[in-house]
Amino acid sequence: MKTRLDMDRIAKGLGAQRQGKVVAKGGYFGSLQLLADIRARFRVPAGGGRPTDRTWTERRLIPLAPRTLHQLEKLTARMREHGSVNLEPMQLAGLLLEKSAEKLNEKEAERLVSPKRASR
Amino acid sequence: MKQKTRQAAVARGVLAGGRKRVLVVLFVLSVERDGVTAIDQAHWVDAALETFGRVFGGATAYPKAKGVWRDDERGGALVKDEPVVVHCYTTPEDVQDAENLAALGGFCKRMGREAKQGEVGLVVGDEYFAFRQCDGE
Repeated sequence: MKTRLDMDRIAKGLGAQRQGKVVAKGGYFGSLQLLADIRARFRVPAGGGRPTDRTWTERRLIPLAPRTLHQLEKLTARMREHGSVNLEPMQLAGLLLEKSAEKLNEKEAERLVSPKRASR
Repeated sequence: MKQKTRQAAVARGVLAGGRKRVLVVLFVLSVERDGVTAIDQAHWVDAALETFGRVFGGATAYPKAKGVWRDDERGGALVKDEPVVVHCYTTPEDVQDAENLAALGGFCKRMGREAKQGEVGLVVGDEYFAFRQCDGE
């Protein structure tokens, strides 16, 4: 039977941040494959700082309500505290935007912009 | 009867060895975070092997891999390095033990700090862990 590892406990015990899932295989070729995978997905800028998703090439200014920003700050602070991920509030916003945009269809988007008209 | 007992003990020993099914992987880079200054990689590979040996009972360092990547934040400069990958098999119990984790974490942070790394990478099972801002501790 496979024992599940408590990754949060491991992260806390190590004093490290969880970065994401990888496929780790044994042996020389497995190690090289893993190395290439990690480099491609989690590369940190040479001067240090947070790793960035290299597919995020577009930058836009998005207006936010102060309470939304506050909520994002609260969430990222809590994530840092638990040692899981080190994200800036707007990095989290980008991630949420990406996930929601993937799931949202035309009707739902319409309902969001004009709730009254869509409910008729 | 004695023979049977011995056989059972041997079988138990073999099975106990088979319990070591969690793979821990550490990456020892060849350069500092500036991508140019060489570090004493042989020293850090030896130190990593010693740490894994002491904490989890053994490890294997593979020959250097050659890598290159384009640093877009520095005008597309190509950064070359030759990382060494260290593999260690352990048990779920040992890898979740607080003392073992503290020892391994301590080593990774020390390597990050003394070898001036932007990040030290460690894989436990199927998860990638990063040690950053090692110089701040």
